[in-house]
Amino acid sequence: MQNENGEKQDRLAIGDGAKPEPPEPDDFTPRYLDAAQLTFTRSEVGTARLEIRQEACYLRVMVRRLMPLSNPDGYISLGADEDSEIGILVNLSELAPESLKIVQEELDKRYFTPTIQKIYRVKEHFGIHEWEVETERGRVTFSVRGLNQNIKQVPPARLFVTDVRGNRYDIPDYRELDLQSYQQIQRHL
Amino acid sequence: MATAETPTGTLDALPDSLEKTLQSLNIPTEQIRFAVQSDINASGTYGEEWFILTDAAIFTLTGAGEVLHYIPYKSVLGIRAEVVVDAGLLVLETEEGTVDLIRYSNGFAPKFGFVARFIGDELEFHKGKRDEAPIWDYKPEDHSCKSCGRLLPDEFSPCPACTKKHKVMLRILSYIQPYRGRAILYTIFLIVGTLITLMPPYFTRILVDDILQVGESDNAVPEASETWLGEIFRGIEPLTVALSVAVGMLLAILVISTIFSIFQQRLGAWLTFRIASNIRAHVYQHLHNLSIRFFDKRTTGTVISHITEDSERLQDFMLEGLSFLSVQLFLFFGIGSMLFWMNWKLACFVLIPIPIIVLGASWFWKKVRSLWHRAYRRRSKLFDVVNDSVSGIRVVRAFGQQKDEVNRFGRANIDARDYETHAEMIWSTYYPPLMFAVQFGTLIVWYFGGLDIITGPMKLGTLFAFLGYLAMFYEPLRYVSPLINWASRSMTAAERLFEVIDSQPEQFDDGTLKTMPNIAGEVRFHNMTFGYESHKPVLRDINLHVQPGEMIGLVGHSGAGKSTLINLICRFYTPDSGRLEIDGEDIKGIDLKDLRSQIGVVLQDPYLFSGTIAENIAYAHPDASMEDIIAAAKAANAHEFIVKFPDGYDTEVGERGGSLSGGERQRVSIARAILHNPRILILDEATSSVDVETEKKIQQAIDRLVQNRTTFAIAHRLSTLRNADRLFVIEKGKGVECGSHEELMEKKGIYYKLVETQREAANVRAQAQVVEG
Repeated sequence: MQNENGEKQDRLAIGDGAKPEPPEPDDFTPRYLDAAQLTFTRSEVGTARLEIRQEACYLRVMVRRLMPLSNPDGYISLGADEDSEIGILVNLSELAPESLKIVQEELDKRYFTPTIQKIYRVKEHFGIHEWEVETERGRVTFSVRGLNQNIKQVPPARLFVTDVRGNRYDIPDYRELDLQSYQQIQRHL
Repeated sequence: MATAETPTGTLDALPDSLEKTLQSLNIPTEQIRFAVQSDINASGTYGEEWFILTDAAIFTLTGAGEVLHYIPYKSVLGIRAEVVVDAGLLVLETEEGTVDLIRYSNGFAPKFGFVARFIGDELEFHKGKRDEAPIWDYKPEDHSCKSCGRLLPDEFSPCPACTKKHKVMLRILSYIQPYRGRAILYTIFLIVGTLITLMPPYFTRILVDDILQVGESDNAVPEASETWLGEIFRGIEPLTVALSVAVGMLLAILVISTIFSIFQQRLGAWLTFRIASNIRAHVYQHLHNLSIRFFDKRTTGTVISHITEDSERLQDFMLEGLSFLSVQLFLFFGIGSMLFWMNWKLACFVLIPIPIIVLGASWFWKKVRSLWHRAYRRRSKLFDVVNDSVSGIRVVRAFGQQKDEVNRFGRANIDARDYETHAEMIWSTYYPPLMFAVQFGTLIVWYFGGLDIITGPMKLGTLFAFLGYLAMFYEPLRYVSPLINWASRSMTAAERLFEVIDSQPEQFDDGTLKTMPNIAGEVRFHNMTFGYESHKPVLRDINLHVQPGEMIGLVGHSGAGKSTLINLICRFYTPDSGRLEIDGEDIKGIDLKDLRSQIGVVLQDPYLFSGTIAENIAYAHPDASMEDIIAAAKAANAHEFIVKFPDGYDTEVGERGGSLSGGERQRVSIARAILHNPRILILDEATSSVDVETEKKIQQAIDRLVQNRTTFAIAHRLSTLRNADRLFVIEKGKGVECGSHEELMEKKGIYYKLVETQREAANVRAQAQVVEG
């Protein structure tokens, strides 16, 4: 860990008794990882493999956003499995391009929530609203029951729409949609 | 490979093109065990992808037939359906490592969850870890209407498309059935009352044309009257008598109309409140027969609003809206024909502003309604802010955040002000023009009617009558749109009420239910699996055989599934697969009344109902004698504090038992359970959240309570389970250890670790106390 940045490394060194081992699971000091020490690669079977230089190697690393709504590209928690966190990466963009690509693929796998880019139409039939929208993952049609319970607004203008099958769709700022989409939203809100 | 069962047709049907692809890979169709379609590509865009299990391997294919994964079944170590944010992922553990096999959106999660469970169980079966091959019992969750195929508003609801609005109306009217006589009387009053309202303008006409104007006229021979009644009045001499008679008749009409109106409204109120209260009673009664799942899917607020708001809305509409609507409709056509009868040309002019009024009014109401709705939302947000900071006032003060709270309120306040102002201003801008349109119709009549009088053919009285009717005629038009809304909202409210009535009850008695008035208390779980949503099992393959009278301590981390196990014993839910037996009888087949009357629960936060302590103790047996109640209270160590209350056993416990402390409430609830005398007892964290001294008292009470009863106890403090005959350790939904305290300590497994951790924690606390002391 000799290359890790000063202050954080010191704190870790005290906690670990200066052993080059990952911190104990009950360690309550958050560990911030230095992007320069991290290398992500794809294993043969396709999982994301993480190597922390001169320290450890994880065969299937789990990536989780700590602030998925407000800061999706910052504060990424890296985990060896469901329960044990390896550390936190503050800024994704500091990673080397190949590593960044893998992390982004993994994030994409874990965070599916499609973003609605265009609303073609919203039609109501007997309390069920049928939406036809364009998302970054393709065009999709879905049904929403009782709009009041299933559209959550995150101030100022972010909307999450949950369909009958439990899928969630994100509208980051409905005011920035094109006019037709905006009118569809306005009509039903 | 020997397959347990070859399910066909129960999942997705593989398209021919993909079957051909597999054939080209030397896999004949007979070897395909099942195929499951997904809706997300490996790249994360929407698209078709397939998971296929053959006799020897697992495949994934793209919709176009390209093979993505080929994994020999024998190299598979494990499989799981991982839940990610807003989607799912089927993950395979193989000898080569972990493989992310296929992605799917949440809608496909139940299907893939089942597949993972089935294959996982089968793998364990082949390894000999499971003594039975898994059963293919996939039931797709179908929430669409059986007759029209539309999605239902929720799984318990009737189909809104198939329940027609007029059917709802008919159904409401069916509640009138017992009061038929009065309902007919009401209708007669309504019709006659409306007809009477039509009379005054008609008399105005006679008054003007046949009495007043005859007096003014210089003509020696007056022309004949236009109406037969007018002709009669012309016969009366002198004119003053005719005038008195006419005015007297007007007076009589007014009096009769007032009397009719009194009777009609009294009768209306009588009928409406009876119908509404009958519907309400019906809904409430039904509510108590519904399964717990019905309540899981709804917040308490929604359920309460079902009974209160919806029935109130329906009641208001029936009381005011319905009679208003029918009277206005009746008047509209009545007056319409009257106008045409009096002067059809003029009546045509009257029709001119109608489209403007109707269209304008409906546009106007739609606009103000959405504005008012938005203003209302802002206002309720404002109340939320107030509620938030007032209930948290201590925290606000402690952190010195008064200023921030005031600012937060200020922002919400200004927001509410702006929206409300806007709504009111829009109302003020558009309502007067609407009124203008109505006035305009009157101007048309004045002008063209006046022309007719000047040129001769029409008489002044006709014009007056015309104008009188006109006011009544236009009146309802302004309210067409809100009335229709009101009606449709009330019908929806009624539908929601009927929805509760139509929801499936917890248990149907189809005659096969087993009555078990005397349960011995043997409980047996056999390969039982359950999840609140079937694709996310909370408990998996639970096997446990409990003898009558045995006490079982349920141990495990929070979220391991202990409380779920208890919910299943109470039969709040039914197992997804496997069996749960009481005295050797499948719990699904036992009459719930018998089952529940022999199960007692003591919960962490016991719910006491408003009423006295004595009433609460005797909740399950309201006819219990005072001696029984005291005996139960004594056994529960509750008697000692109850006697100290000035009102003794008559002490009101208040809402949720607010006037008692946690430990006191707990002991009252134990007394309640003792008096209930159940065969199967459930203790869910009964001793947590009280001090050590009270805990001792409660523990004593519990020790008395568990005698000779099959008991399931959950406790975080393992020391409170020292009396348990056996401990059942649950870890991530699976039963991992079972045995006595000593056996499990010797085994040095999960239980041992838990005990050690608690001991360490206790030591730390003890040391801390020594230091403080």
